[in-house]
Amino acid sequence: MKEALKQDNEMNSNGSLSRRKFLNYAGAIAGAGVLIASCKKKTDDPAAEDGALDIGSNDTGLLNLAYLFKQMKAAFYTKVVKTPYPGMTDTEMGFYVAMRNHEIAHRELFKNYLGTAGVPSLENDFSSIDFGSKSSVMAKAQFFEETSTSAMCDICRLAINADNLNVLAKMTMVDARHSAIANDFIYLGSFSYKADDNGMQVALDPQNALEVIRTFFKRKLAGTYLPKY
Amino acid sequence: MKLTDIINEIENNHTGTTNTSGRRDILKTWGAKIAAAAVPFAGITLASKKSEAKTTDILAEAIYLALSITKMQIAFYTQATGFTNLILPPMDGSFKEILKEKKEQEAFWIYYLNATSNPLPAPETYDFNAKGNIPKTFTDLGICLQVAQALEDAGVRIYLTAVNEFWSNQFFRKSAVNMGATNARHAAHVRLRRRNMGVDMMPWVPGTQANSIYGEVVKAYQEDDNIYQWKNNMVGINGFDISFENATEAFDEPVQRLIAAKFMSGFIVTTP
Repeated sequence: MKEALKQDNEMNSNGSLSRRKFLNYAGAIAGAGVLIASCKKKTDDPAAEDGALDIGSNDTGLLNLAYLFKQMKAAFYTKVVKTPYPGMTDTEMGFYVAMRNHEIAHRELFKNYLGTAGVPSLENDFSSIDFGSKSSVMAKAQFFEETSTSAMCDICRLAINADNLNVLAKMTMVDARHSAIANDFIYLGSFSYKADDNGMQVALDPQNALEVIRTFFKRKLAGTYLPKY
Repeated sequence: MKLTDIINEIENNHTGTTNTSGRRDILKTWGAKIAAAAVPFAGITLASKKSEAKTTDILAEAIYLALSITKMQIAFYTQATGFTNLILPPMDGSFKEILKEKKEQEAFWIYYLNATSNPLPAPETYDFNAKGNIPKTFTDLGICLQVAQALEDAGVRIYLTAVNEFWSNQFFRKSAVNMGATNARHAAHVRLRRRNMGVDMMPWVPGTQANSIYGEVVKAYQEDDNIYQWKNNMVGINGFDISFENATEAFDEPVQRLIAAKFMSGFIVTTP
């Protein structure tokens, strides 16, 4: 993994990357995958960190992180639709219903795919959200979608299994569509205001992503063994 | 030799994406053909070096794939935003922003092609009237946005294909994912603009999209109606009320290279 990181930094900072390094890079990453697997200490230990639920390591940890985002967003949009803020338009309701259904589809897919390796269905803490306020709901939708898209980008980056990457990437694109619309709800034309100078979504690493969303779950969560780079 | 000239050859060799080895052969063939057609932008010395570079590397081929749609999108938005009476303020600001981000993506890929001594792709001549099939692309905003939508949705799919082809390389993989996410934002915004003009549509792609449009743009949506993910039927998954539309909207799908090439060839001028 360190070798992969070293080469990655090299590519970021040094424009004179040789073709040999370019070709060798794939091999280094493949080796890194083995290394990640060998570093596995434990998975899904509910007793980790003072009663916190550890979400696991390797792809299991990454998939559980994505699963948590989906649990959170599905619950959020379900509540938005059930208790619409005053003045919610039919258009807004239609968008929220569709996004709720997408998130439920994603959530249930993770539930089935992860099986016993998956985190349980967890209760959310939305006490910071005023569901009766349009501005509060829209601001939180924007925050959830932006964070989710950024986190999913790095989850895709770190996934070891190609089949996992394939499906995760497909979900990431839909999260990005949600995020663009959540931004445009607030200010039309702000659909990609967080893109960097390479025309890329700014990513969020798994540890920080978990840190961001843990406040929206009642259960303590730990990501001690999540992949790092 | 240009993109359109090699489609038939791909088709002749095509054995379907379920056959991994066959697919790899197709990729190699395509990459080699593109390389043979490449026209280096730099001087003779550089061109000489580039001509020696091997080009069957799957990573370079994935870059060419991503670049092919990005360059087409850049050409489209450059033309579209160049007409003073087509995309008016404040909408024009959004499209200039999209164009800017596409150009940044192009610059990124070209930088790494140069850095790895791979040839740059040959410049193409684009025809967004699709050889007369879409005559009002740049005279009717509604038509213009419909073409933009197809280019964007196809772009998301093509970048997903590139992501999978970059699987072995974390750096390029994450670059393609992160660009793909930005492209998905562009697609959603274009769709929202169309919706705001009265078109009955949402910012995501239902599996029925191919039934509601026709002509050159429909090719962007072939095989975009997959309802199976990780072997799960997403329609009504676990008893939830997830319709076919929801199930297909919830996942953007990669696209086969052949379908992508056929879609793009509709907007490329073929040199006799």
